[in-house]
Amino acid sequence: MTLSPVTSGYTRWDQSDRRLVSSDETEWFAGGTDLIPLARSGVLDLDSVVDIKSSHLERTVQRIDDRWRIGALATLSDLAEHEELTATVPAIAQAVSQSATLQIRHRATVAGNLLQRPRCSYFRDPSISCWMKGGSDCPARDGRNEHHALIDEPCVATQPSDLASVLVALDADVNIDGHDGSERTVPVAELLQRPVADRRSLHTLESGDVITSLEFTDPGTSRSTYLKAMNRAVWQFALVGVAAIVDIDDRHTVVSASLVASGVDSVPRRLTTSSETLTGRELTASSIASAADAAADGLTELSENGYKTALLRGLVQRSLEPMRGG
Amino acid sequence: MRASDLDDWTTGTALDLVGSSVDRVDAVDKVTGRARYTADVQLPGQLTGVIVRSPIPHGRVVSIDTASALGVEGVVDVLTADDIDEISWYEDDAPLLPGIVRYVGDEVALVVAETRSDAERGVGALSVEYEPMEFLTHPDDVERPGAPELLGNESADEVEEDGRGDVDEAFDDAHIVVEGTFRTPVAIHNSLEPHGAVADWVGDSITLYTSTQGVNDVREQMGERLGLNHNQVRVVSEFVGGGFGAKQVAWKPTMLAALASKRTGRPVWVMNDRSGENVAAGKRNGTEHTVRIAADPDGRLLAIDADVRADRGAYAVKGEASAVSGPYLHLYQCARVRTRVRRVRTNTGPAVAFRAPGYVESTFVLESLMDELAGELDIDPIELRRRNHSSRNQQEDLEWSQPEGLLRSYERVAEVARWDETDDRDETDGEDEHDGLLHGRGFAAHDWLAASAMPPGHAGVEFNFDGSVHVSTSAQDIGTGTRTVLAQVVADELGVDISSVRLSLGDTSTGPPAPTSAGSTTVPTMAPAVRAAAAAAVDDLLDAAAEHHGVERSSLSFDGTHVKSSAAAFEDQPLGDLLSDLSPRVVHGWGGRETIAEDVSPRAQGSAVAEVSVDPLTGEVRVTSITVAPDCGRILNRRLADSQVIGGVTQGIGFALTEEQVVDHRLGVVVNPDLNEYLLPTVSDTCTIRHAALDIPDLRANPLGTKGIGELPLIAVPAAIANAVRDATGIRLHELPITRRRLLEAIASSEALDHESGDHR
Amino acid sequence: MSNELFTLRVNGSDHDVADSWLGESLLDVLRDRIGLMGSKGACTQGECGSCSVLVDGVLVCSCLVMGASAVDQEIVTIEGVAPVGTPSDVQQAFVDAGAVQCGFCTPGLVMAVHDLLERTGSPTDTEIREELAGNVCRCTGYGRIIDAVQQVAVRRSSDHDGGRGDAS
Repeated sequence: MTLSPVTSGYTRWDQSDRRLVSSDETEWFAGGTDLIPLARSGVLDLDSVVDIKSSHLERTVQRIDDRWRIGALATLSDLAEHEELTATVPAIAQAVSQSATLQIRHRATVAGNLLQRPRCSYFRDPSISCWMKGGSDCPARDGRNEHHALIDEPCVATQPSDLASVLVALDADVNIDGHDGSERTVPVAELLQRPVADRRSLHTLESGDVITSLEFTDPGTSRSTYLKAMNRAVWQFALVGVAAIVDIDDRHTVVSASLVASGVDSVPRRLTTSSETLTGRELTASSIASAADAAADGLTELSENGYKTALLRGLVQRSLEPMRGG
Repeated sequence: MRASDLDDWTTGTALDLVGSSVDRVDAVDKVTGRARYTADVQLPGQLTGVIVRSPIPHGRVVSIDTASALGVEGVVDVLTADDIDEISWYEDDAPLLPGIVRYVGDEVALVVAETRSDAERGVGALSVEYEPMEFLTHPDDVERPGAPELLGNESADEVEEDGRGDVDEAFDDAHIVVEGTFRTPVAIHNSLEPHGAVADWVGDSITLYTSTQGVNDVREQMGERLGLNHNQVRVVSEFVGGGFGAKQVAWKPTMLAALASKRTGRPVWVMNDRSGENVAAGKRNGTEHTVRIAADPDGRLLAIDADVRADRGAYAVKGEASAVSGPYLHLYQCARVRTRVRRVRTNTGPAVAFRAPGYVESTFVLESLMDELAGELDIDPIELRRRNHSSRNQQEDLEWSQPEGLLRSYERVAEVARWDETDDRDETDGEDEHDGLLHGRGFAAHDWLAASAMPPGHAGVEFNFDGSVHVSTSAQDIGTGTRTVLAQVVADELGVDISSVRLSLGDTSTGPPAPTSAGSTTVPTMAPAVRAAAAAAVDDLLDAAAEHHGVERSSLSFDGTHVKSSAAAFEDQPLGDLLSDLSPRVVHGWGGRETIAEDVSPRAQGSAVAEVSVDPLTGEVRVTSITVAPDCGRILNRRLADSQVIGGVTQGIGFALTEEQVVDHRLGVVVNPDLNEYLLPTVSDTCTIRHAALDIPDLRANPLGTKGIGELPLIAVPAAIANAVRDATGIRLHELPITRRRLLEAIASSEALDHESGDHR
Repeated sequence: MSNELFTLRVNGSDHDVADSWLGESLLDVLRDRIGLMGSKGACTQGECGSCSVLVDGVLVCSCLVMGASAVDQEIVTIEGVAPVGTPSDVQQAFVDAGAVQCGFCTPGLVMAVHDLLERTGSPTDTEIREELAGNVCRCTGYGRIIDAVQQVAVRRSSDHDGGRGDAS
C-alpha cells in the first residue's frame, strides 16, 4: 500500500483552487465509499485526494417543468427518499434501494455511482494482472466469470451501477464542468462506454472533469420498474438487472418501450429488439414472451455465465407482467 | 466433588432459574460497546504486526528484502523464516514461516510497527522474490492419474474405511436403489471477529490475549512449541466474537505475535484482516459424495454405500470433516453400511472444523437420497424416516442415550410445521396460478455424535466474605451464553439470586481446566461441573458451620440466605454473618466432570422442515419458513437456546443458498476472499424460524440431562431446503449452494430432457 | 513525519489526530488514535456494518469514510448514544429481547437501530429487514434483533401517547 500523509495529500475542494489539484494521480471523491478498500487492497495508490463532498456542487433533487434535475452530490438515499420522484419514476427508487446497503447509500453520490471502478474480483486483486489495469489479457474471460458480462471484449467486467440502467432507459444526460473550464452536456449512454485500449475505464470522463448534475425528462404517464437478480436478497452487484420504462395507452397498446439491462455488458445494455418488439403492440403474454425471447440477442456466453441469458429473459418477463391490464 | 455424585435434579427440587429465560449476564457490556474483545486490547507500548502472505499457490521463497520495509518510518521489526528456530505448525509439522509456500495466503513474514498504518506501509515496501512451482487447487486434478504429488504422500494414505455387513450383496438383490453424486462447497466460518492475538512477553512468561474457543488448548499448543511450562503461558479470551469451530486451535497470528513480542520486548497486536480470514484461517472442506442406498418395497434400508472425498487444503489442521461418515453410519437402522473417506491435499487454505463438521455435508447427501426414495416409493418423507429409525449405535452395539429422541423430534417438528395438515397445503405445492411462483416443502433428519461431555471440565465456587459468590473456571464463552447458563446453574444449586453470582472465565490463570468450546459440549461438560462445585461449597459451608457452632453437621441446611438447623437451640444465621464469623476460613468447593457416559452412546438428534418459494424464470429461491426440533436434552435457558436455533438455521440457509468460496484453478487463487462476493445471509435472507422445542432431559448422557445445542439446528437445514426446492420444482440439485446459476442451468437441462422425451409438463 | 493535526468532534468532544495517513478510515482513527473501541472492524470494506456510526446524524460505515474528511462534522459512536451506566432504550431492548450473542456486531446494530427508529417511528417487518440489511450478524441470526426493534417502537409510541416524552 502506498499512502501519503493526510497533511500533504488531502485537499478539500472549493471551486477557486481547482487548478491546484487536477493531476492524473489525484483521486477526486465525494462519497468515497470505494476509495479506502481500493487503497487498502493495494489496487490504488493514494498520493493525493480531493474531497468534493462539501463543495459548492448541488445536492438537490428537483423538477423544473418536465425536466428532473439531480445534483451530483445527491446521495442514493436522497433519491430513494424523494417522494415525488419515487412516485413518478419508481424504477429509480427501486434501483437505488437495491444497491449496496443503507450505510453506503447514505454516503454514495449519484455521480460517483456512475463512475465506479469495475467490481470484477480479478481487477480488485492486486497480485493479478488484468487488461483493465494495463495488462495484456483478461483473466476472467476463461476464468471464474459467473458474474461477468456476456460480451466478447478485452474486458468482461460489468457496469456495476443499477441506477445507470434506469438513467439510460430514461435517456438521461449528465452536465459536466470540463477541466478546461468548458461546460457540456452528454447522455449517460455516452458517458458510460465500453473500455478501449487507450481508455481503460468504464466511463469517458477525463481527469479533472466534474459531473455537476443529472437531468432527464419526466416520463409522464409511462410506467417504470427496475428488477434485479442477486444470489441473496440484498447487497450484491446485479447478476442481471432490467430497467423498463413503458408507455401504454388506454387501449393497452405500447406507445413506447425502453428496456435496459445491467449485469450483461460493460455498459448499461439497451435491449433494442425487445423494446421495438413491444412498441405498437398490446401488452399480452405473447408480446411479453416475444420481448423476453429477444432480450439476449447479440450476447456472447462465456464459460460460466450462460445462465444469465435465461435470467435476463426471465427478468424481462417479470418486469413487464405487472404492467398488463391497467 | 464429581458431577456424577449428585442427584439428577429432576424431582423434588424447585428450580428458579434453570430452564427459564434469564437475561444474558454480559448483555449490557455488549450493547454498550464496553465488552473488550481481543482486537480491542491496548497495552502500553503496544506494537502492531501485519502478516505478509504468499501471492502464489506454490513456490519457493527465494529471498525477502527486509531492508526496504525496515526503512519505512515507524517499522520496528520484520520477522521472517530466518529469524525462527524450529517452530513448526499444523499437524504436518510444517515450518511456521515456510520456505516453500503451499497456497495463496500462506504466511511469509510479519512486519511490526508503531501503528497499523506504519505496518501496512511496511508491507507495501517489503519485497519478496518467489520461484513459482507447479500447483493443483482442484481435487479432481490431484486425483487424476499421473498427477504430480505436490504436497507429499499424505493424501494417498488418508483413506478411512468403516461400516458393517456385506454391502455389495444387498445391492444385487434390492427392490430399489437410489444413487447420486453430490458436492458441497468450501464454506468460510467468517466469525465477525477475525483470528488474532495480542502477545505480551515479560521475563520468562507470556500473556496471550487471543480470540479462541479453547484457552487451555492454546496454552498447551503454544507452551509446547515455545518450550514453556503451562504456568509460564497465560491465555486470556474474555470476549470472543464468534468461532464456529475455526478458533478451536491456536493459529499462526498467535505465535507470530508471541515471537514478535519476545524480539521487540513490547506487546504486539496481530489480527487477520478479512481476506486473511477468508483464505488462511480455516474453512469447511469442500466434499464430493458418491452414494447409493438400497431399500425394500416398504422403504426399509437394506444398504448404504458412501464414497466421500474431502478437500483438506494444503495443511492438516484438526477436526475438519472428521465425522463426514457419521450420518451414513448412524442416522438409520441399516445392517449393511460401507463408508470410504478420502482426504485430498490441494494448494488451498487449510480446512478446520466448522459447526457440525462433516455432518452438514453428509446429511445433505443422505437426506437428499432419502427424499428421492420417499418420492419413488410414494411414502411420506417423515414416515419413511420412522420406518428406518435406529435406537442404537450399530457400530458400537450400544443403545442411544435417548433412544426415542429422534422419534419425538419427528412428532414435534411435524406438529409445529403442520406437516400432516391436509388443508390447501398440498395444493400449494407446485405452481401458483397468480404469480408463477412454485411452492414446496422439504424434510430432513439428522444425527449428532457429541453430546455428553468433553472432560476434563472443572470449576471452583467460593463464598466471598460478604456472602456473594465467585465461580472460577477457564471455560470460555464464545458468544453462546456459557457465562449466563453456568451462573444460572450455580445460583439454583445454592438457592441464591443470580445477581450475587459472578463468573471469571476465559483465562487460564484464574480458572481450573475446562474444555475447548466445540462439539456442543461446553454446557454438558461445564454445567454439571459448576453444579458439583456449588454443592461442594455448600458442603464446606455446613462443615464449617457445624464446627463453629458445635452442632451436628447432619442437622444443618442452607436455603440460599440462611444456615438453618433442626437442632432446637440453633437460631437461623444469615449467610453473611456466618461467613464473617468463619473468617479467615474461606468457604469453597470444587467440582468436576471427568467422565463421559458409558454403557450408552450419547446422541443429540433432530429434524427440520423447510418451506420455499421458487421463481422458475429467474432462479430465485426464497425460504419462507424453517422449523427445527433438536433434541438437546434439558433446556437450561430457553431464550439462549432459541438464539442458537435462529443463528444455526440462518447459517443453514447460507450454506444452502449463498455461501461458497470460489477458486480460479488456473491461477490457484480465491476470487472472493471478502464479504462482498462471499455472501453471508442478511436479515433480508431469513424467514420465519420456529424452534419446536423438545426439552427432554437425557440423564444417561449427562447428570444434568443437558446435551448442548450449538451444532444441532444447522445440520438438517440445507438438506431440508434442497428437498423443498425439489418438491417445488421437480428438480434435484446435487450441488450446494443453490444459486441462480445452478438452478437455472438445472431447469434448462431438465427442460431439454423433457423436450427430448416429448414430455411437456 | 508531520505533527500537524486535524480535529474530529466525537460524542461532543474534540479529539486532535496527529500523523494520520490517507487511507486511514474514520474507524481506524476512532479505534487506533482516539481509543474508542466500541465500533468494530470486522470486514473494513463496508459489507458488515459492525463499524456503523452517525456522521452529522447520518448512519455510515466508518470503515469507508476517510478520517480526514470527517472534520467539522458531529460524529456519534456507540459510546455516545447514552450516558455511561444508563443504556438507551434500544440498548435495553437488545438486552430484554435477547438480541445479543457474541456481541461483535452488536454496537453497529445498535447504531443502525437508533438511526432506523429516528427516521421511522413504527417500522414494519419489511422495513426493518430492508434497513438493517447492511448489518451482518453471524451468531444470533436476526430474529431477536427484529423483536428488539419492535419492542422499542411500541414503547416509544406508548410513551408518546402517554405524554411522557421520549424514553431515550
